[in-house]
Amino acid sequence: MPGVGDHVVDMTESFIAIRDALPYLLHGSMVTIGLVCGAMLLGLALGIVLAVGHVYGGQVIRSVVGVYVWFFRGVPLLVLLFLFYFGLFSFLNINLSAFTVAALVLGLISAAYQSQIFRGAILSLPEGQFKAARALGMSDRKSICYIILPQALRLSIPAWSNEYSIVLKDSAVAYALGVMEMMARAHFVASRTYEHFPLYFTAGVMFLILTYLGTRGLGFLEKKVRIPGYAR
Amino acid sequence: MTQTPVLRIEGMTKRYGQKEVLRDASLSVNEGQLKILIGPSGGGKSTLLQCINFLVTPDAGRVWLKGEEIVRTQKKVLYEYRQKLGMIFQDFNLFDHLTALHNVTIGLVRVKGMSKQDARDKAVYELERVGLKDHISKYPAQLSGGQKQRVSIARALAMDPEVMLLDEPTSALDPELISEVLTVIENLRANGMTMVMSTHHMGFAREVADEIVFLEDGHILEVGTPDKIFLNAECDRTRAFCSKILELYGSA
Repeated sequence: MPGVGDHVVDMTESFIAIRDALPYLLHGSMVTIGLVCGAMLLGLALGIVLAVGHVYGGQVIRSVVGVYVWFFRGVPLLVLLFLFYFGLFSFLNINLSAFTVAALVLGLISAAYQSQIFRGAILSLPEGQFKAARALGMSDRKSICYIILPQALRLSIPAWSNEYSIVLKDSAVAYALGVMEMMARAHFVASRTYEHFPLYFTAGVMFLILTYLGTRGLGFLEKKVRIPGYAR
Repeated sequence: MTQTPVLRIEGMTKRYGQKEVLRDASLSVNEGQLKILIGPSGGGKSTLLQCINFLVTPDAGRVWLKGEEIVRTQKKVLYEYRQKLGMIFQDFNLFDHLTALHNVTIGLVRVKGMSKQDARDKAVYELERVGLKDHISKYPAQLSGGQKQRVSIARALAMDPEVMLLDEPTSALDPELISEVLTVIENLRANGMTMVMSTHHMGFAREVADEIVFLEDGHILEVGTPDKIFLNAECDRTRAFCSKILELYGSA
C-alpha cells in the first residue's frame, strides 16, 4: 500500500515545515501585535474625540464626524491602504514605512467604528448624569472627562473587544503593503517551500490564539472595572 | 425694613416648540427662607427650578444672587454661580461609577480645586451629617433610595451653597423612606439654609414652608403663607387644587 506510506511522509514533512517556520512566524506575530495595538490605541483616542463631537458638538462638528465615519466605514481597507501608501503620502512627499501607514490606516478605520461604540454608550447614560455634573459647577469638558467618559468607556468594553478581533483579522491585509506580519511571512515561506497547508494553518491558529488572548484580557478588564451592585 | 433677597428671578419664560411651559415667572427668596412650589404635574415646577441655575436655558428671564445679576453667557460666572446653588433631583442623579464618598469629593476636587485629603475630610463630615457614616464606601447601586437622596444632599451641601434647589426630592422614594429625607430637609431649614423646593407633600409643605407658590400651566397663580394658600386661597384654581389634595390625603 504505497499510498499510506506517502501520506505518513507528507505529515512528517508538514510538521517539519511548521517547526522550521515557527520562529519566523512568531516574529511576525510581534509585528501583528504592534500593528493592532497601534491601530487600537489610535482608534481609541480619535474615536473618543469623534464620539464626543458627535454627541455634544454643534451642527458643523456633527457633520464633519458624520462624513469621517461614512468615508472610513465605506471604503474597503485594501483601497485605503493603497490610497494612503502609494497615493497620499507619495503625493505629499512624506516618507513613512509600510508598517506605520498600515497601523495608521487601520487606526483611522477603527476610530470610525469605535466612535460609534462610544457614541452609543454615551447616549445610553441617563441624562441626569450630565445635569448633576453641571449643577455642581463643572464645565462641559470636566463633566465629560470625569463623569460621562468613565461610565461610557466601561459600557464599551464588550463592543470594544469585538472591534479588537476585527482589527486583528484586518491587520493581515497589511501584507499587501509588504509589512512582514504573520500572513506575509506565512505566504513568504509557503511560496518557497510549497507547504501551503501547514503554513496557512499555523498562521490561522496563531490568529485564533491572539483573538482568544485579547478577548480574554478584555473580559478580565471588564470584570475588574465593573461597578459594584450595578445591574447589567 | 427691606432686605436684599438672596435669590431673585424675574420674567422667567420657557417654551418647548409651541408649548409655553413657563410664563413670566418671578420670585424672590430671602435669607433662610423655605419656599415650596406646589401645583399639578407638568405645571412648570421642575422647569422653573432648572431655569434658576440654567440647567434648562430659559427663553427670557433674569436672575440675581445676593443682588448681583448673573450673566449666564459668561461661562466662568455661570459655573461659579452654579456652585452656589445646591441642586437636588427627583431621581438623585448620583454618579453611578463613584462611591458615596467620591460622589461628594469630586466636586470639591475638580471644581473647587481642594486637595484630596481636605475634600475627603469635608465629605466624611457632610455624609455624617445626613446619617450615612457607615455607607461612605458604597456605590449608588448598593444604597437604598433614601440613602441615595441623602448622599446627593451631602454632595450639594459640601459645595457650601447659598441656596438649595430641591426638585421633588421624595417623589421617587418608597413611602417608608420619605421621612428620612424630609427630616434632613427640616434640619437644613432649622440651620437657616435658604431653599426652594417643589413637592407633592402638602402636609410637609404646610408644616415647614415659609411661603407657598402655586404654579399651574407655567403660571405662578398665587403666593402666600401656608395658612393662606391651604385655607383662604384667593385664586379658584389654587382652592380647587388644594381641596382635591386634602380630599386625597386627609388634613393637610
